[in-house]
Amino acid sequence: MISRRALELATAILTGSFGVAVVVQSLDNGIGWSSAGVEAGTFPFLTGVIIVAGSLYNLVRGVVPTASLANVPVAITSIELRRLAGLFVPAAIFVAAIPLLGMYVASAAYVFAVLAIPRHQSLLHSAVTAAATALALYVVFERMFQVSLPHGALAAALGF
Amino acid sequence: MDNLSELLHGFTIAVTVPHLALMATGVLLGILVGVLPGLGAPNGVSLLLPLTFGMQPVSAIILLSSMYWGALFGGSVTSILFNIPGEPSSVATTFDGYPMARDGRPTTALATAFGSAAFGALVGVILITFLASWVAQVALAFGPPEYFAVYFLAFASFVGMGGAAPIKTVVALAIGFAIAAIGIDTVSGSVRLTMGIDELVKGVNFVVAVMGLFGIGELLVAVEEEFHARAVSSKIDWREVFRAVGRLPRHGVALLRSAAIGCWMGITPGGPTAASFMSYGIARRFSRRGRYFGTGEVEGIISPETADHAAGTSALLPMLSLGIPGSATAAVMMGGLMIWGLNPGPMLFVDQKDFVWGLIASMYVGNIVAVALVLLTVPVFAALMRIPFVVIAPLIVIICVVGAYSVSNSYLDVVIMLGFGIVGYLFKKLFYPLAPLVLAIVIGDKAEDAFRQSMLMSKGSLGIFFANKLVTCLVVAGIALLLLPLVLQLARPFRKNAAPATETPAQEKVII
Repeated sequence: MISRRALELATAILTGSFGVAVVVQSLDNGIGWSSAGVEAGTFPFLTGVIIVAGSLYNLVRGVVPTASLANVPVAITSIELRRLAGLFVPAAIFVAAIPLLGMYVASAAYVFAVLAIPRHQSLLHSAVTAAATALALYVVFERMFQVSLPHGALAAALGF
Repeated sequence: MDNLSELLHGFTIAVTVPHLALMATGVLLGILVGVLPGLGAPNGVSLLLPLTFGMQPVSAIILLSSMYWGALFGGSVTSILFNIPGEPSSVATTFDGYPMARDGRPTTALATAFGSAAFGALVGVILITFLASWVAQVALAFGPPEYFAVYFLAFASFVGMGGAAPIKTVVALAIGFAIAAIGIDTVSGSVRLTMGIDELVKGVNFVVAVMGLFGIGELLVAVEEEFHARAVSSKIDWREVFRAVGRLPRHGVALLRSAAIGCWMGITPGGPTAASFMSYGIARRFSRRGRYFGTGEVEGIISPETADHAAGTSALLPMLSLGIPGSATAAVMMGGLMIWGLNPGPMLFVDQKDFVWGLIASMYVGNIVAVALVLLTVPVFAALMRIPFVVIAPLIVIICVVGAYSVSNSYLDVVIMLGFGIVGYLFKKLFYPLAPLVLAIVIGDKAEDAFRQSMLMSKGSLGIFFANKLVTCLVVAGIALLLLPLVLQLARPFRKNAAPATETPAQEKVII
């Protein structure tokens, strides 16, 4: 269970740290006015400062519960969290597997796993959907529009 | 009236059986690349280009421009059905199109979008027909200060229209600007904000950000709300296609206003993306039902779609008359023009009358062919909404991954896309508005460049934004649009005291 307050705080910290990174990085490019006009770092620096300031404000708003925040104490219940993870974790594993397996094998395996393991569909049905997905990707991208998708280290090792 | 007889002559060239067949082929291929994210009109046109070398230039340009129309229409399909905008210019369509489709009215949403898009395109073509030379002059009058003023106007009409917490809007906007700044700075050539990752030199592509923010982010929100049941219940009704198109004239004001905005932004180099955002923002502010925008309003679909296509069409004009391509697709087509032995530019209208007027006539016919074909495919696309959520969810993930990868063949983009997915979910959950963020990513760096170039011209004086009538008008209009909601807000407590309390729940829903 995650409270609205915790979520607000986490997001504000996330945006704030991005802002700090922007400010620090833009100092390398130089800020202000030089003989070549407005220097490259000026705009990023200003946006960074705005992000940091805004995030601090949101952080304080998150800590001090005002009326609008207090009436939604729970942002994500544990059931919702499980559903979120059920979607996101396989997707993340899929993305992580692409460099190794290549887009075609990884996407087929992903579709098969997501459909077959929670028993949403029969094994045969899942296998057909998975194969069709990979085939469709291959035909449309590799063949029709000549956009090469990653084949992966495995395919390279097998000599494709 | 000289133009009119030329146009009639053009029609005799365009309306022949082989050319109509070419149009249908081009449109169908265009719809395909438009629907597939990661592929767009530039891909399709480049792939077809070699095929055209043996053709007459008129036939070749008809094929390529028909593909362009098809891709413009197809781009709206995924925006409406899955909240994944395939192109920057169809982002604004997701704001009301997706909620409407999710509500079980995908047919209505698609038909409305296509109908108004066709209207916008037709207005654009009519403009080209009659004002070709005048339009060319307007486009030439644009320098960096005017560019900046146009972008500023687009921002002003969209930002600050209320709904979200103001500070959250500001943070979202600033993050968008910072993301737009990542990579090579086009003014000074220095590398910015790469965070120590060399590959980021190429910047963060808009498609990557949008696939994550809208595609993955929306998927996470949806899986949490468990809307499986609603997705299946959509009924497919052929007659609804015609009913939706028939209802369009009732929104005549919105149609005309959006077409005007679109044409203006297409001629001036603001482009279709800025046009669709601006049109949506203005519609939301001036529509009587503006409060319900974001929940599946018809005008929320009409406004961005009409403006998008009006701008997309009229943007072809600078390419023809000045030799300045307004978009990536136009640039590829211009390459084709040169290969076919034609010189784009003012002389084209004198030397190659058959070609120019054949093309303009084919824009009329091509758009009619395109809208007929695309309306016929509406039920097919709407049927996609009936696929169970458990099957469609992994497919959307794959589409987003492939789309993000194929933008620049980079695995890093896929990882960044997934990161944007989390950000999109958090922002949506906590009512940070996504629209200003996306708008800033898309036109942020262009606006910054234009501003800095103007500063170089004026040696640091802001006076350049008031130097001539054109730029002054644009800037003043922008400031007025920016201040309008503030003034209205200040005036509100004096008018009615009880209203704000009842409005809050509706507002929370409307935040995009």
